[in-house]
Amino acid sequence: MRGRLLAVGRAVAFVALALVLCGAIFEAAGFSAPDMFASILDGAFLSDGALLHDMRWACPLFISATGVVIAFRCGYFNVGTQGQFYLGAIGGATAVALLPGLPAILVIIAALAMGMLFGALWAFWPGWLRIRSGTDEVITTLMGNFIAVLLLVWVTSGPLKDPSGSGQVTASPPVPPAFRISNDGGVSPIILGITVAVGIAAWVLVNRTAFGVLGGLAGRNPVMVTWQGARLSRLGLGAFMLSGGTAGLAGAMEVLGPDGRLVSGFSPAHGFTAVLVGLVANLSISGSVIVALFFGGLASASLYLPVIAGLPSAAIDMINAAIALFITSRAWPSRFRFRRVAR
Amino acid sequence: MAGDGAGEVAALACRDLTIRFGDVTALSGVTLSLAPGRIHAVCGQNGAGKTSFARACAGLIAPSAGAIAIAGQKLTAGNSAAARAAGVQLVHQSFALPPSFTIAEAMEFGLTGRAGAIFTRRGLRARWAGHLLALGVDAKPSARIRDLPVETQQAVEIARALAGEARVLILDEPTAVLAPGAAEALFLRLRRLRDGGVTILIILHKIREVLAVADTVTVLRGGTLVAGPEEASAVTAEGLARAIIGAGAAAPEAQEDLAALVGAAMPHGTAHRPASTAKAVMTLAGVTTRKGPDGQHLDDIDLTVGAGEILGIAGVEGNGQRPLVEAIAGLVALARGSVTLDGAAITTAPLAERRRRGLRIIPFERNTEGLSLSSPLWENFSARTLLEGSALALIDPAKLRREARAAFATWDVRFATVDHPARSLSGGNAQKVILSREVDDAARLIVLAQPTRGLDLGATAFVWHAMRQARARGLGLILISSDLDELFDISDRVIVLQGGRVAGQFAPPYDLGAVGRAMVGAHP
Repeated sequence: MRGRLLAVGRAVAFVALALVLCGAIFEAAGFSAPDMFASILDGAFLSDGALLHDMRWACPLFISATGVVIAFRCGYFNVGTQGQFYLGAIGGATAVALLPGLPAILVIIAALAMGMLFGALWAFWPGWLRIRSGTDEVITTLMGNFIAVLLLVWVTSGPLKDPSGSGQVTASPPVPPAFRISNDGGVSPIILGITVAVGIAAWVLVNRTAFGVLGGLAGRNPVMVTWQGARLSRLGLGAFMLSGGTAGLAGAMEVLGPDGRLVSGFSPAHGFTAVLVGLVANLSISGSVIVALFFGGLASASLYLPVIAGLPSAAIDMINAAIALFITSRAWPSRFRFRRVAR
Repeated sequence: MAGDGAGEVAALACRDLTIRFGDVTALSGVTLSLAPGRIHAVCGQNGAGKTSFARACAGLIAPSAGAIAIAGQKLTAGNSAAARAAGVQLVHQSFALPPSFTIAEAMEFGLTGRAGAIFTRRGLRARWAGHLLALGVDAKPSARIRDLPVETQQAVEIARALAGEARVLILDEPTAVLAPGAAEALFLRLRRLRDGGVTILIILHKIREVLAVADTVTVLRGGTLVAGPEEASAVTAEGLARAIIGAGAAAPEAQEDLAALVGAAMPHGTAHRPASTAKAVMTLAGVTTRKGPDGQHLDDIDLTVGAGEILGIAGVEGNGQRPLVEAIAGLVALARGSVTLDGAAITTAPLAERRRRGLRIIPFERNTEGLSLSSPLWENFSARTLLEGSALALIDPAKLRREARAAFATWDVRFATVDHPARSLSGGNAQKVILSREVDDAARLIVLAQPTRGLDLGATAFVWHAMRQARARGLGLILISSDLDELFDISDRVIVLQGGRVAGQFAPPYDLGAVGRAMVGAHP
């Protein structure tokens, strides 16, 4: 218990430190830091309906973050969440385009499943390379993100292009209203239900199955579990694909939900923020709930900043980046596996 | 040389030296004066404070109290650069040379610690070839450290230590990694250095070796100075054993264990029964593996372990011990041969299935292969049972914690809570955690690779007791050890591995000479 409190305290302290750093930069750039933080706080958490807006961003972030937690706990630094999220969105939009005549419920299920599958496949090849030949998955998943961005551009300007589009944004045709799982607000019973279900499933997987315990052991010491008879290839590929699958699900939900279509270059910071959520939560599923709400709040505030306070919305990116800086600087050496081949 | 050092300035002297780590006192109030130009042995059990003493002398630990003087000059506490400048060099227990360096590179950068200076390979080789030759190191300066046999690595380490103006050379348990013959060669080297004027402080825990090499003997026990420095010629093996272990420790039935523990005498391995004709638990037939990255392989190994038998595997390290364990575990592919466990062919079975059939392994590296140090104790304990079921099986962590607690209590593990990481345990306790996991009711064959390395006497005796109990239950055991005293004391049969082949098979009473000859390949 004390260890857990310590971890929470540390995460809070690092976020606070990041905010102080950003405050100093805001001041130096000529903005008033107190005003800035007041409007962020207002936009994110205090104004009317703020919580609802937060949820719109927090739900997909949380779903992707569960995948980050699973992969990182197993010692695989899948930072390709963004690419897997995009592939999931492509999968979802493809299903919608291919199955126009079916009943809504089937199309929705097929689209979400296809999103998970696409996301999982986008995590499969880095996982396979990692396990087969030791290729550093940080590099491959990161590169996968760039490829996914281009794939998304191609899909939205090619096979799934909206023929009536204005040409200013490349996008797919709108998803028929019957297949939408939420309005543009992005919060609906279906989305909340899926998010809760994913959360429970991920929590059980991490905390109440042999996979969770063995994955945690493998993440800290893969050599030891090998000598216990574990097959790292299975464990590792499982972790990779679950991780990609959750990101893909989040992507498909964006298409069927708030976005209502597949737009080139949408939610460009989603994947990295999801990684951040997992890290700030110290790779805990339950912790990710709170942290996702916090980052969801920041994301929703970034839309309000220019309107309310005349401030650049990039301020939020700065805060995210500063938090990332502090969290990773303390996390990498201590928590994660040492990549040493014991011989 | 026969003087007692009273008239001359001591090469190394310390006064009231005390070292504390938190609540633990590693060394308390040690006052000692060592004469120059002699070989001084410091001995004691593990945990007696020998290594702390050595590290303090080398400036690697700042003592909590007291002072150290080198040739009359007081040493700045805890400053290794100052200690090196004063001429003190420490050769560590585990080697500190970077494996990917060539000998010349290791000499150059180990000495200067300098980075960034421009150098050429040829220049380095030219600079160090003579030095190595003068010290009798028989290896090319361009050879990589990782390709050297262990005794050459040690020789390079010593040569590196002597590259500067070393006046006091400290060696921390240098024989722990060596075969008997190589230890003799090391002692010869040390005597030559002594005759060249170097003062040598050698930490040993085998009485036989102390008496073979030392001019004076100093005994530490529980962090205090028990005796010495005394002239080695005036010391008897029995007296030394008593000083190391302390009075009242020797229970009558443990006499032979005690003797083996300190290597006071060669026990004659009064085996508990003649080599059993019981049915085989494990059989290896013609097992051959390809050369691994460390250059080791197995070449046509035939061996059988019977139920209720302890088979000892002797050999100089690096002669196939690791591939043997990996072949039994199924972690390395066999080029030829077959493996049978309890009558079932398991040649191609994965480790998980072998474990389900009762194979248990205590691997070489306790802290990397045996345990996940940063993971909680209960996870370390539960790993084996969790792997027997499905990965998606639901588990009850509270129940697993209870099981771990119960097993740890049975095995007398000293721990705070099962949620603490494994790194919070001492070596002996960590080994007990592994034993508690690997020695269960379903076990049929236990492979123990260096199970007592680095353990203190109490923990070593505990491991041996556990092995004998397992034997009494009818399990087969394979003990791989570089400690011949240990092998002779506990094994029902000993096989010598040399170059990946079985170079000899021995039954009690063991003949040290014959086993030693087989280990170095001189056996017909």
